Amino acid sequence: MIRFQGVTKEYPGRGHALRDVSFHLRKGEFAFVTGPSGAGKTTLLKLITMEERPTAGVVRFSGFASDRMRRRDVPHLRRRLGVVFQDFRLLKNRTARENVAFVLEVTGASASQATPRVLRTLAAVGLSDKGDRMPAELSGGEQQRVAIARALVNDPLVLLADEPTGNLDRGIALEVLRVFRDINLRGMGVLFVTHDRSLIEEFPRARVIELEGGSIVRDSDPSDG
Amino acid sequence: MARLGYTSREAFFAFRRAPLLTALSILTIGFALYTLGAFGLIWTNIDRVLSDIEARVEVVAYLDDATQPGDTAVLVREASTYPEVDSLSYVSKDDALARARADLPEYNELYQDLETNPLPASVEIALKPGFRGSEHVREVARRVARFPFVEEVKYGEEWVDKLDFLKGLSVFLGLTLGAIFAGIAFVAIGATINLVLLSRQEEIGIMKMVGATRGFIARPFVLEGFVKGTIGAILALALLTATYSLLEQRVVSLAFYTPGQVVGGILLGGALGAMASFLSLRRHLARW
Repeated sequence: MIRFQGVTKEYPGRGHALRDVSFHLRKGEFAFVTGPSGAGKTTLLKLITMEERPTAGVVRFSGFASDRMRRRDVPHLRRRLGVVFQDFRLLKNRTARENVAFVLEVTGASASQATPRVLRTLAAVGLSDKGDRMPAELSGGEQQRVAIARALVNDPLVLLADEPTGNLDRGIALEVLRVFRDINLRGMGVLFVTHDRSLIEEFPRARVIELEGGSIVRDSDPSDG
Repeated sequence: MARLGYTSREAFFAFRRAPLLTALSILTIGFALYTLGAFGLIWTNIDRVLSDIEARVEVVAYLDDATQPGDTAVLVREASTYPEVDSLSYVSKDDALARARADLPEYNELYQDLETNPLPASVEIALKPGFRGSEHVREVARRVARFPFVEEVKYGEEWVDKLDFLKGLSVFLGLTLGAIFAGIAFVAIGATINLVLLSRQEEIGIMKMVGATRGFIARPFVLEGFVKGTIGAILALALLTATYSLLEQRVVSLAFYTPGQVVGGILLGGALGAMASFLSLRRHLARW
């Protein structure tokens, strides 16, 4: 589903962020991407969302390939992805429900289609009763659940999470991880970026891709990347 | 239809969301357009004065005393076929004297004891707009002077050239300064729109990440720019009207914009706002 083939990313003046990275995330697979700060974890996600293009090699996802991708196709690729960030990135002046509905609005869904989907997705992350709250009225864990609901509402093929528990207490972080695991159990692929090894230990069966200095130094389940 | 609803809802939501920034943008746009409008008004009035002076440009052919009525008719008939000529009028010797008496009453005593009328008959030739420049005036004068019974041709040669120069200068300054003021207005509008975009950069980032197209992100901002530009132009118009009334009452009679120009100016404000938004957005949306 997501395939990196010999991907190198170099930033002018800053050197290599990734070097000759190859891996394949299969449909419905859960994988942690881990490594110290500056290992290239965030760059890897940016290459999947096509926010960045590889200096060498190809990134493929759902029929799109980085070497043949036109700029106008990027929004369509992103609609097949769900992205969750460490800092939640919710629209502060909209309620939880409006934040989730916003994604459907962007893709042109009508209000009559959107409302039941939004309510269903909020229920799936355990926030049925908090749809009318503004982000500032929610706890960190709840805000992250809204962000997960927003990433899920469009039925993406895979969920990308960039240190989603980085701003949360240990207990809340585990709860959020459980939400991701439940989502994965329903068949959605998850690429979960974290530098927190203790979190990885909570989910021992998951695949772990470890980056260091821009290269993969360990892949617990290497495939035909 | 859903997209249209989103675009207008978002554009107007922006006004409620940041009323202070919105008010600041509108004021900046208003003052920038006021400066442009005030310059336009000054230029319009200078142009009007010059056009009024130009309308008085005429060629006068003074006739020999021995000229027969038939000769005058030939001159009038031929000159009326010239493309530059608007109208002609014959002024007889008696008419000329009567006019001199009326125009110069201080010399009336001088005219009392005349044995013969010293003033010549003449044909006054008015020119069409667009043919009042020195080149056309000289050409008409040259053609009329060829008639043997025309004693002298006058057309105010000493000021026709000056008028030509002033008209040219007025057009040059009008276009140059107009372009500079429009440029300043455009930059000011762009700067305020840029402020709005900076304050909503995070939101734009989220929109990009969830798969919004560039058009989807841009449309509400462009509409917002258009509405701000239009309101700014209405504000500028109100200020201009107030300034105009004050000058009109206290200082000098002036021309104001025609209703068509007012509507055009308001639409121009809207278009400037929309265009400035669009150009600022291009920078913000360049990275995808």
